[in-house]
Amino acid sequence: MTSNPSDPAAFFRDMLGHWEKAVNNFGGDALKSEEFVRGMSAATAATANMQANTHQVMERVLAAANLPSRADFDDLARRVAGIEATLARIEAKLGSGGPDPAKPRPSRSRKPPSKAS
Amino acid sequence: MQQTATIDPISAAQGEFERMMARNIKGLNYFTSPAPVVGATPREVLIERGPMRLNHYRPMTDEVYRVPILLVMATTNRGFIFDMVPGQSLVEFLLRAGFDVFMLEWEAPRSHERSLTLESYVLDFLPAAVARVREETGEPDVSMVGYCFGGVLSLLYAALHPAQGLANLVTFTTPIDFSRMDLFSAWSDPRFFDVDRLVDTFGNVPGDMLYASFDMLRPAARTAANMRLYDNLWDDEYVKSFRMFERWNTDTLPLAGEYFRQTTKKLMWDNSLYKGTMTVGGRAIDLGGITVPFLHLAAEHDHIVPREASAPLLGMIGSPDKQEIMLKGGHVSLVAGGNAIKRMWPALANWLAERSI
Repeated sequence: MTSNPSDPAAFFRDMLGHWEKAVNNFGGDALKSEEFVRGMSAATAATANMQANTHQVMERVLAAANLPSRADFDDLARRVAGIEATLARIEAKLGSGGPDPAKPRPSRSRKPPSKAS
Repeated sequence: MQQTATIDPISAAQGEFERMMARNIKGLNYFTSPAPVVGATPREVLIERGPMRLNHYRPMTDEVYRVPILLVMATTNRGFIFDMVPGQSLVEFLLRAGFDVFMLEWEAPRSHERSLTLESYVLDFLPAAVARVREETGEPDVSMVGYCFGGVLSLLYAALHPAQGLANLVTFTTPIDFSRMDLFSAWSDPRFFDVDRLVDTFGNVPGDMLYASFDMLRPAARTAANMRLYDNLWDDEYVKSFRMFERWNTDTLPLAGEYFRQTTKKLMWDNSLYKGTMTVGGRAIDLGGITVPFLHLAAEHDHIVPREASAPLLGMIGSPDKQEIMLKGGHVSLVAGGNAIKRMWPALANWLAERSI
């Protein structure tokens, strides 16, 4: 018993700690059982199916409304990323100019306390 | 020694009543005030490309150690766990101890970045960060410090770039034997878990899904944490700390789809890093080829990377100067919070200082 006798709520705090430990231990065993894993995987698969179906429906709706789809935006984003990469290559060839001379540059000669004399 | 304190039930009840009143008043504050500002140490962003962010923190001393430090964050979480608030920031602690500190952290990969792979991280992002740090400091080598999966990425980088500017390698709570991560291993059982279907459907793996997985590792933790929060609502420091950690915990990042597919198959299913069959970009990973000074910091009560999952790491590293330090605490409290300030940060700074001249 670790309760502080002068604190009326200490007993409940101890109990909370014990409850948490017990549930985590029991839950940990239950959550790695084959039955749970099978159920969890089935739920994930169902979510994935739902997402895929929604995606297909939305693609058709957007196509019918003559609006760009997610895939179109992804294509655009990829092209912008390509342009950014090209710019980065050009910048690298031009030289970044190295470190900014205006930045404070502390000397790099510090020694650990055991070696400093 | 036996406790002989006399209990005064009236004053004890009075104290509890006062706390209850404070809880009610401060509880209202909790919902009406913003969360503490985190990650506020002055810095400059050196690289901002895809999900990669390389930060350079402004030195706080006139004289720094020769070798700069590059912190490498896990890909599932934000980097501000290393830089909570002044006084509770590993970054600030290292700056004040005289180090030049950089951090490689991650943003959520965007939809079109689903094709990023393990190779993108190990053969592109990490080398680009190291090259930029070397350019910025003018020094030929850096100390790489990786947390959790950031540690795995650091190990892969070090194994593939043995002669490219690594002075020291430090990993925190880094798994190597993935078969010993019991729950994650069970949940990704290839008989039931269809990673291809998940990635092909979602593109990037949603952060919410990853957060739920982390949360389920300790099913009672959330309820107990909320009850403790209510109990401690009167304590401003407790509430501030709770909000910082809660914000970090819940801000789980999505993972790039192909990267997730590869890590699931190579690490969770094949356990290839432990078995020595891991390849990145077609190149074999040999941890025995890592010969720079190496330190692994492990937590006694790590519920995400259990001790058994990280224990073989030290033996697999080829360096003659290698060490493991086991500290009290859990996966997160090892690197941030009161225990970290007292135990881990000084241990890290002392180990690095000796090897950073």
